[in-house]
Amino acid sequence: MEHKSSGNLLLQGVNIFILLAVLTALEFAIAVTSASLLLLVLTALIKAGLVLWYYMHVGVLARDDEGEEHDHESYAFKTETNRIGFWLFLLSDAFLFAGLLTTRFNLMGLTRLPLNQTLGLLVTVVLLVSSFFMNRAEVQMARGDQPAFRRNVIITIALGLAFLAGVLGVEWRLAAAEGVIASASAQDAVFYMMTGMHAFHVLTGVLFLWIVLRNADKGLYNAEKHWPVEAATVYWHFIDLIWIFFYPALYLIGKLV
Amino acid sequence: MGSVVALLAFFVGAGGKQVFGLGLMRGLGWQLLGTLAGGFFVELLRALLPEMEPFGKFGFSEPGWVFGALVGTISFLAGVGALSDWFKWAKGEPASEHHHDPAGWQKYFGVSLDHKVIGVQYTFTSLFLLSYGGSFALLFRTELAKSGMQFLDLNVYNTLMGLHGMVMIVSILLGIAGVINYLVPLMLGAQDMAFPRINAFSFWIAVPAAVLLLSSMALGGFDTGWTGYPPLGLRAPVGVQMFYTGVWVAGWSSILGAVNLIVTVLRLRAKGMTAFRMPIFVWAAVAMAIIQFSATQMIGLAFQLVIFERIAGMPFFDPNLGGNPILFQHLFWFYSHPVVYVFILPGLGVISELLPVFLRKPLFGYKWIAMSSLAIALVGFLVWAHHMFASGMNEYLRVPFMYSTLLVAVPTGVKFFSWVATIWRGKIPRNMPTPLLFVFAGIFVFLLGGLSGPPNATVSTDLHLTDTYFIVGHFHDTMFGGYVFPFFAALYYWFPKAFGKKLDEKLGKIHFWLMTPAFIFLTLGMMRIGLLGMRRRIADYDPALGFDIWHLLLTVAAFMIATSVLIFFINVYKTLKNGESATGNVWNSRSPEWQVPSPMPSYNYERPFEVVGEPYDYGLDDSPYVKM
Repeated sequence: MEHKSSGNLLLQGVNIFILLAVLTALEFAIAVTSASLLLLVLTALIKAGLVLWYYMHVGVLARDDEGEEHDHESYAFKTETNRIGFWLFLLSDAFLFAGLLTTRFNLMGLTRLPLNQTLGLLVTVVLLVSSFFMNRAEVQMARGDQPAFRRNVIITIALGLAFLAGVLGVEWRLAAAEGVIASASAQDAVFYMMTGMHAFHVLTGVLFLWIVLRNADKGLYNAEKHWPVEAATVYWHFIDLIWIFFYPALYLIGKLV
Repeated sequence: MGSVVALLAFFVGAGGKQVFGLGLMRGLGWQLLGTLAGGFFVELLRALLPEMEPFGKFGFSEPGWVFGALVGTISFLAGVGALSDWFKWAKGEPASEHHHDPAGWQKYFGVSLDHKVIGVQYTFTSLFLLSYGGSFALLFRTELAKSGMQFLDLNVYNTLMGLHGMVMIVSILLGIAGVINYLVPLMLGAQDMAFPRINAFSFWIAVPAAVLLLSSMALGGFDTGWTGYPPLGLRAPVGVQMFYTGVWVAGWSSILGAVNLIVTVLRLRAKGMTAFRMPIFVWAAVAMAIIQFSATQMIGLAFQLVIFERIAGMPFFDPNLGGNPILFQHLFWFYSHPVVYVFILPGLGVISELLPVFLRKPLFGYKWIAMSSLAIALVGFLVWAHHMFASGMNEYLRVPFMYSTLLVAVPTGVKFFSWVATIWRGKIPRNMPTPLLFVFAGIFVFLLGGLSGPPNATVSTDLHLTDTYFIVGHFHDTMFGGYVFPFFAALYYWFPKAFGKKLDEKLGKIHFWLMTPAFIFLTLGMMRIGLLGMRRRIADYDPALGFDIWHLLLTVAAFMIATSVLIFFINVYKTLKNGESATGNVWNSRSPEWQVPSPMPSYNYERPFEVVGEPYDYGLDDSPYVKM
């Protein structure tokens, strides 16, 4: 990859991040003013589309890969195979989260719990910023800039841990203090189930990144061959993607009861 | 636990020291240790935390058993060696995909990455569970042979009933995975599945899942039936937790196996094998995998929610605290209805695959059959609530689900018309070979199952038929017609490919002629007493109903089916020991796997082949399918 085009990719990452940040702010503003369901869903869909297209490169799946067809043992062929398998796995996982969303709307309808919306926004921003750095890490790896890759992955891991601390350490405590207690009602239980399941995925994502970081330090990846880096990146953005839907579903949509 | 001990005892009797060196034995030992470690860890926490009592009625407390089950499962996988390569990868060490399996039978008892070995492992585990689940059925059928309670108590009866359902489901899942694993790479001309390690993982995770399922018997059993609905599932003994976790763990086998299969078909087809030149069985397998990799998550979620409700008091399904038990049924059936298409699609694929071979005629309407598999899979996602007509769900949902269900008959009808047209003026061999017999029986029995379906899908009749033996008869017809008969056809047909020996025809025919009439009588009899008001799932019935004689006859039929399966096992044993050698193209098939000698080496084909024509041009000269 040429330096110029990867420089463009870095810039693109910044642009998309700004766009996502603006949309997140907009979403919050909609929620505290009109709380229009339609607008909130629309914003979430646009955010998800941006993450899928620019951060997760979903378009790569449709790319024509003629030329690598002949050698089934080549790295390019195997990477493409791995990529399809990994995306199918994520699609399968998405059904789990879709089921959780169904559960939430079945049990709560258009109401929401007395959660701290500012704190919700805060952890969302932490995750969003981590996605930004993850994107940078991947681009730096593709440029062959290992130290920059390392820096960005470490920041991503730190932000991921901060998100976990924010949700499990602060948010769960505050929610319990507000009277949202897992065993008190089905509605409260859904909140803990959804955030807990998402937090479990964040935790596995952190472990994945940590393993990839260690292996990168051992010099196992280079600018051309770094499928595990790509997989970890896509996984990390997938976690962000889930939160793009969970955040409005838990904090923004619906009236307080 | 009890079954683990029984299994251990069995292997001690069978082979002593040699046996304990096997991966399987190591895995089971680790599972035992892992379960104990996980359980004691939770009990320690409970002892330290305030307001919690360590240990319970069945040794560990309930969270202890659940956590122990998970740690035990992971320990099994680590112990058997299914995780070794990923541990190496995480440590940054190289790990080769090319393993050397030990020669002889030992290779089937340890981790192998060869899809053919894994296919055989799947199939034999499936047959093992089939006999387990089948003997449960024999036990409660014996109890039912006469009104009044004979020798089972109510809890044992309920547990056997529920386990019969779920053990059979896992057995079917492993059976189709076995046939697909063995055949699809051979049919595509691939060296192996796309992800051999995940393939091995998918098989081996099913073993601890089966152990968990069976261990529910030792932990108080459960009285929920195979569906595990709350609120019954919330009140049942700890055994139901082993049922939920067992199914959850088995789900990973399904999901990962399905992903693997789809990628294999997308990426590893031979040169020239375009989508509409794939063997029809591959189409069926892909359609099945689409359901499996997505919908399985929903039953996993449903069961997880109950597990959490039980161990953490999160009241998802408790109406007193804002929960909704109907929600469980929606999540449960979103998987459990499509999964019946998972069971039947590969079987219907086997029927379409074998008919042209034996009748020496092209398969009628190849593209329509290929598309009908996909159509069944996709329509299957939209029909789940027909299981809930009597559940108290919103009434306006009934009619749309009735119509979507009736819609399934269209693509299924396409398959039937194709089979009839393929049979039409085909050369039916005089002395029909066993696989063909099973194919014909499969078509007939599946027709019975299909025709008894619409009355259950139609709201007005279903409200009368729901929870009666009519449903049980219908369901067993679809399962036997769509899975069991084609599965046995496949086993008789491809056995020579796997082992280079042909199963005995005489025993095969005894198997067939014992099983088929008995089975048809069994299900028609079930439907009859069901129409007259015999409730399903119950352990006892009023003698005044006059069903005693019917139940006795059904029990006799069940024992005949069991005897026939026993004859099949004897056949397999005898053939493996000193069967007639068959290494060539036994059935004169056009499929690539039969163009090379059996059994095939671990790398499959010496050289890649090329697809140059249509797959099912039987009886046509000058129209080759593959160029070897």
